[in-house]
Amino acid sequence: MRRRTAVVVTMVAGALALVAAGCGGGGKSSNGVQGANHTLAQSGGKKGGTITVLSEGDIDHLDPGAAYYQFTYAITYVTQRPLLAYKPNSIQPVPDLAASMPTVSKDGKTVTVHIRHGIKFSPPVNRAVTSADVKYAIERGFDAAVGNGYAGAYFGVIQGAPTNIGNTVPSISGIQTPDKYTIVFKLSKPSGIFVSALQEPLTAPVPAEYARKFDKGKSSSYGDHQVATGPYMVQNNAAGKITGYTPGRQIVLVRNPNWNPKTSWRPAYADKIVFKEGFDPTVGAKQILNGQADVNGDFPPPAATMKQILSNSSQKSQLEFTPTAGSRFVALNTQKPPFNNKYVRMAVAYVLDRNSMRLTRGGAIDGKIATHFIDPSFGSHGFNQAGGYGFNPFPSPNNSGDVAKAEAMLKKAGFKSGKYSGPQVTQVADNSPPGSNTAAVVANSMEKIGFKVKTISVQHSAMYTRFCGVPKNAPNICPNVGWLADFHEPQADLDANFNGKNILPANNVNWSQLNDPKINALMEKAKVELNPEKRWAEWGQIDKMITESAAAIPWIWENGPTLYSTKVTHASELWNGGEPDVSFMSVK
Amino acid sequence: MGAYIVRRVLWAILLLLVVSFLTFVIFNVFPSADPAALRAGRNATPALVEQIRRNLGLDKPFYTQYWYYLKGLVEHFNLGYSYYNSESVKSEIFSRLPATISVTVGGFIVWMLIGIPVGIVSAIKPRSILDRVMMGGSLVAISAPVYFLGLVSLFLFAKGTGQLQWFGAAGSYVPISQNPGTWFDSLILPWLTLSAAFAAFYARMTRGNLIETMHEDYIRTARAKGLRESRVITKHGLRAALTPIVTMAGMDIGLLLGGAILTEIVFNIPGVGRYAYLAITNSDLPAIQGTVLFGAFFIVFANLFVDILYAFLDPRVTYG
Amino acid sequence: MALLEIEDLHVSFKTIDGVVRAVEGVSLSLDARKTLGVVGESGSGKSVTAQTILGLTRFPNATISGRIMFDGHDLLTMSTEHLRDVRGARIAMIFQDPLSSLHPFFKVGHQIVEAIRVHEDVPRDLAKKRTIEALRSVGIPSPDERFESFPHEMSGGMRQRAMIAMALALRPDILIADEPTTALDVTVQAQVLELIQALRDDFGTAVILITHDLGVVAQMADDVMVMYAGRVLEQAPRDTLFTEPEHPYTWGLLQSIPRLDAPRTDRLSPIAGSPPSLINVPRGCTFHPRCPYAPPPAFETEPPLEPSQPGHLVRCHLPIEERRRLWLALQKEHPVLQS
Repeated sequence: MRRRTAVVVTMVAGALALVAAGCGGGGKSSNGVQGANHTLAQSGGKKGGTITVLSEGDIDHLDPGAAYYQFTYAITYVTQRPLLAYKPNSIQPVPDLAASMPTVSKDGKTVTVHIRHGIKFSPPVNRAVTSADVKYAIERGFDAAVGNGYAGAYFGVIQGAPTNIGNTVPSISGIQTPDKYTIVFKLSKPSGIFVSALQEPLTAPVPAEYARKFDKGKSSSYGDHQVATGPYMVQNNAAGKITGYTPGRQIVLVRNPNWNPKTSWRPAYADKIVFKEGFDPTVGAKQILNGQADVNGDFPPPAATMKQILSNSSQKSQLEFTPTAGSRFVALNTQKPPFNNKYVRMAVAYVLDRNSMRLTRGGAIDGKIATHFIDPSFGSHGFNQAGGYGFNPFPSPNNSGDVAKAEAMLKKAGFKSGKYSGPQVTQVADNSPPGSNTAAVVANSMEKIGFKVKTISVQHSAMYTRFCGVPKNAPNICPNVGWLADFHEPQADLDANFNGKNILPANNVNWSQLNDPKINALMEKAKVELNPEKRWAEWGQIDKMITESAAAIPWIWENGPTLYSTKVTHASELWNGGEPDVSFMSVK
Repeated sequence: MGAYIVRRVLWAILLLLVVSFLTFVIFNVFPSADPAALRAGRNATPALVEQIRRNLGLDKPFYTQYWYYLKGLVEHFNLGYSYYNSESVKSEIFSRLPATISVTVGGFIVWMLIGIPVGIVSAIKPRSILDRVMMGGSLVAISAPVYFLGLVSLFLFAKGTGQLQWFGAAGSYVPISQNPGTWFDSLILPWLTLSAAFAAFYARMTRGNLIETMHEDYIRTARAKGLRESRVITKHGLRAALTPIVTMAGMDIGLLLGGAILTEIVFNIPGVGRYAYLAITNSDLPAIQGTVLFGAFFIVFANLFVDILYAFLDPRVTYG
Repeated sequence: MALLEIEDLHVSFKTIDGVVRAVEGVSLSLDARKTLGVVGESGSGKSVTAQTILGLTRFPNATISGRIMFDGHDLLTMSTEHLRDVRGARIAMIFQDPLSSLHPFFKVGHQIVEAIRVHEDVPRDLAKKRTIEALRSVGIPSPDERFESFPHEMSGGMRQRAMIAMALALRPDILIADEPTTALDVTVQAQVLELIQALRDDFGTAVILITHDLGVVAQMADDVMVMYAGRVLEQAPRDTLFTEPEHPYTWGLLQSIPRLDAPRTDRLSPIAGSPPSLINVPRGCTFHPRCPYAPPPAFETEPPLEPSQPGHLVRCHLPIEERRRLWLALQKEHPVLQS
């Protein structure tokens, strides 16, 4: 999963944690949140001008092969052309570098992509892009010096993809380039998500003859010398050294002189894009409101600021909400007592006061209360099949918890009084708000049915990498976990988190350590299903089963709020949690 | 004196070693994030995580890691490379140094220029209305957290976000070499914010010290000699009242550096403080180590400087 | 005409605990070349009286009344600006503890130079020369080296000599010495007193010598004033006071003069009990709670300060004959008082 928002998850390459913002009602407002409807000017915008984007933190990596963070993608996608990409208001990938959508053989093991003619690398490379550049780009994703975070997960299925990672760019036999404009992927088995994964920036071409010298050693420096194919490029000098990026300070995008508008559907109105970093969210929001800057990059405006904006009729239309394609949930460790007992887990699912939990993140403005995992932005891609808003196996009045039903579950689990009377349970939680507050609500809720909860508070990133992500150190409860899907295929949402095959000794993301043979088998089947309708239906069913198992209890589908100045047109990326698409925005 | 300084410098170096070792131990013993896992990302394969762990040298025992770190530090003055983006920590710190120096030195000057005169004015007429207003105001300034004060000042006085658009906004910092005017304008609010609590505290301290000093016998002697009251205060009174204050200020430099972190964050100034903050949120040990050593270096040597200065300020103090 | 004449001086300070009546109706006069000894326990008002002469008690919480006539002017009503010309130049003062009275951060020589230059427009090097002379004249060895010394580098006796040098560098008309020897040990005490005496004789300076030690007064003073609770209880020429004292308090003080055959005490406690608080002074005679002879009127009304013979003032309700009788009886009992 890709990362959203700076501070909560900390800025680490590709550490795709769920972060501060989130999703809600898909820009609509079924829970009292009023914002602007998504409007998009695909043509007719004014050419020229500068757009200023503010952020709190920095991007993770400039290198398109290493970038793995929503905010970075807002830059990557306007400077690089992956095989596929998204228009801002869509979750359906369309050809970008590719000339047309890929074709998949009957057996699902051969994927062929033709790429467009007339696309050139930016200076100093200046030559036409060929299929070999895509091959090299994906191959370097398997080099630890580049450190791509998802190559193994989505492209590991290519024949010859290495399982041992070293500090060199491997040659992958399953990526073939029969001619300069054709690339063929030979897969070791069919994959229902391979085509969707071709929209990842890893497929954006990299010129091997230029990049190889930067990819040497333990850490690639191609990011600081990269060339662009998109309408914009990070400002560089004649030698190709990037000059437009000062870490933690700013990133300057200028027009790519070698970009040919005829090859692209991006209007690219503005002449220049400046990303200014390091802003406190309150200050940043204020600067956008008064026109010193145009849009927020990585931070959601503080809840209080958003409430003020929404109550101001002249400012209300400046704020848009986009779902973030993921959910936050409380993971229960299914491998250890007491949560190896399904009924004890279900008791917790009933008793959690999700309404109070949501209040710790600002209340309704932060998003809708989640009742299962696949979030509303998936729509027909699995959300509806999982029962949509109607599926809620553990309902309670006002979502504030149902002690009676919880006690009934505990009775089924063998606690005759209806109160839990076993040993105390442990949770590892964030040591700072809002996570620490959420964890406190979880503990309070559980105490209502007899649990004694011991809370260990650590830094958010330590919670993941030292405790919840390391099964031998895993506590009973991980109250502050979450996941954002990299793209709108339910597999990207559920497989890593709940497939028993994905339990790893370290860097584990199946935090519940759920290993249900039935669910595992259904997932393996759905993963190779090439028919999207069937595939999404299968995943919808899997979502229901996981939710009913109460291995993890989802509690919020978050909103990604985007705040625009009055000087620019809006273009929030539906596929990317509401990041602004600066190639579609124009200065009025 | 020479021998004393040599001895103190040696102690300071030892202290810095201890600080760096403790940072290492704390990072390794207490739960902080696994840098290799963070760098690799949550969707990464175990093989990638392990290779990155090897690349960062994290597969070695921590005393070996520390030994390599020290070796690099002593032999090449090398502070290591960031786990997060592989940049040289030394060059990152040095490139941010001018901003931090601008913030802290300016803050220190404002702190002294406000704190001491306010304290003196209050002390000359204790319990007057002016005194009460200034001491009351100082209480407010002492109790206001830097971050809060920074936000309030931005919303009151910054161009763009403020009610009165007087001074540079958050993020308007430029190096002094680029444009001294903008540099100064962008730092006015940070300086005031950073120094507010210190200035207020030192105003109270100056007031207290000066009032106490003005009751000393030698002040009576000075008056009995026929000195003008202004001279009694400025020469005899302040000379004695300010000596401990100046030296205390030297020791409080450490606190000022702490405040500079928050100031740099709220005003978006690209200094070492921001870097330290990012280093901590990223569990970036080399960067944490580098900034901790940087801070410790300044505190230790500020203290040394102050101790030596004290010998010049107070003739009763000698070092052997 | 007297050099300095104080009439009915009252000094009080408002404090949180109440009004401290430090000086209540003190009058005195001092002639040129004379030494006036002012004796009393701590808190008797003697130091406040002395400091008020130079306006050193002009604090915001002080109330001062009376008259202090010097050289035809009333020092009490004189502006601080004009008073500065008197301070140090015409009337100089030295204090009990020379360590705390000298500024610790400035060289001794510099502090004396400053005193000279504030009153006389002389170049620095000339002032330095005069300072070194003054240091020499008070018996400080190698004065040009000592000029560069800081106070903490000198002994107690040396520091007090330096203070005296500073006080006398401008040849003042009056030297007020406030307990100048209290902080010093016995041998140094004698040297410092001799020095003051010698200077008085050489320069003709009048001296107000404040002390709690009648022994010092016996050696130095021409006239003696005994103070208690801010009031003068007895005032007389030295010989009269020592041979025919009339106030029971004075008798007590006399009994407590340190003798070579008795252990020396730092603080006097001539009479059982302790001095009264200056915030709540007893009704009647302020001394009556500690007085073994107090007649009934002493409990109700304060006696006036009245002459018992020319030049001898006493504030006591006891009839004069009774006083003389009691004194003779005391002398019989304590032969040591027959000096």
